[in-house]
Amino acid sequence: MEREFDAIVIGAGPAGSTFARVFAQFGREVLLIDKRREIGTPVRCGEGLGEGEVVAQGLELPREVFSIEVEGAKIVGPNGKAIIWKDENTKGWILERKMFDKWLVEQAIKKGAKVQAFTRAIDLIKNDGKIVGVRVEKYGKEIYDIYAPLIISAEGMEAHIARKAGFNTVHNLYDVDTCYQYEMQPYDHENLIELYFGNNIAPRGYVWIFPKKDKKANVGIGIGGHLSNWEKRGKIKGAQPKLLLDKFIENNEKLKESNVLLEFGGVICVGAPLDKFVDDNFMVIGTAAKQVDPIHGGGIAMAMEAGLIAANVANKAFEKRDFSKSVLYEYEKIWRENTGKMVEKKLILRKVMENLSDDDLNHIFNVLTPSEIDKVMRGQFLEVVTKILVGRPQLVNLLNPLRMMQ
Amino acid sequence: MITVEHSGCIVCAGCAAVCPFSAIELIGNRIKVYGEKCTDCGICVKVCPADVIEIYRNVKDVKDLPEEKRKKI
Repeated sequence: MEREFDAIVIGAGPAGSTFARVFAQFGREVLLIDKRREIGTPVRCGEGLGEGEVVAQGLELPREVFSIEVEGAKIVGPNGKAIIWKDENTKGWILERKMFDKWLVEQAIKKGAKVQAFTRAIDLIKNDGKIVGVRVEKYGKEIYDIYAPLIISAEGMEAHIARKAGFNTVHNLYDVDTCYQYEMQPYDHENLIELYFGNNIAPRGYVWIFPKKDKKANVGIGIGGHLSNWEKRGKIKGAQPKLLLDKFIENNEKLKESNVLLEFGGVICVGAPLDKFVDDNFMVIGTAAKQVDPIHGGGIAMAMEAGLIAANVANKAFEKRDFSKSVLYEYEKIWRENTGKMVEKKLILRKVMENLSDDDLNHIFNVLTPSEIDKVMRGQFLEVVTKILVGRPQLVNLLNPLRMMQ
Repeated sequence: MITVEHSGCIVCAGCAAVCPFSAIELIGNRIKVYGEKCTDCGICVKVCPADVIEIYRNVKDVKDLPEEKRKKI
């Protein structure tokens, strides 16, 4: 059962299905494979998505793929001080991720992409050292080869095939957040996502409450991977994500009487993107390329963006019949010049934030305004840092990397 | 090698993502461990949000595990 395509995409998440959709639109033959039995499950995500990228790609979300629309965020400091950050640009959705992923795949199918679920890529096929296809295993038994001059890894966190192609997709503990999440009901919300910071609440991370319809909510925690399971390493008892989350819920008036409908979780990369995204006949997109926001760990919008850029570049490669890394590099160049710059800044911000004590955080929450949070998230730090230092000059060394960046 | 207590596993595949030796993989809806590739480094234990992974040092094969663990693999 051998077949040939113009491109094979491994992984039918937002990155892979966006690539398949855009690439198929050019009239190219593309095969999208996913190892899961059902695309979209299991959900391993907080399910939040801002409007920006969806609008930019001209997509219109149908009602069934999202749970509710949110207007912005409520960001809460260790001492309980809340900042409501709500403006034109903070609108977004809490998705039904399972439906959303399927819907994105359907859009690819509409444009002519071929899709195969429950098909796991097990190895690369090489000819004279050149990648020419993928060996796959279907339904857990039938093994066969598929050929294409271009292989796209949109594998997400695991990225085993990209690893085989020579990309350093292994994550170290310091650069991942380990997350645990409950779907809970009932929870009365204000159409805002809620984020709770504090070293005792979530060391190097935060607790989130993402409201969903029917008074449901995703209540989750992400903490630094190198900080988890402290108990076993003889350190502070209970620094495991689940235990910390339980503690948070116990102390939250609105949640402590609420019920858990589902437990899920995941591990997410908050480190630097891969040092290269392309090689001869091979591209890595989305979370597989570690294209994730280092501050909030969100990856859907970036994955869709990378899928779009990569598909356009791949189409050009086809026009030239040249799939060498120098041609495919255009995707990497575009990404690094735009989104990459922002990710770099946020990475430095993350590293500064993880050294702040609860007292520092309380001070920052007391002086920051919503519009300043907006600035910080856009990578404009100078003015905000100056304001923070007025009341807390001892932070000067800690915050210096942010001032240097301007 | 490591063992995964599947009854408590939330199939997030974080272990598979961080394993430097590709010794863990998510297949279908279940985590599979390749004992022969595992080096007992323990990074998966630390990252597991559900705390269901245990290390058995110097064990390379399922059949060398204690009996009660074998059943859970």
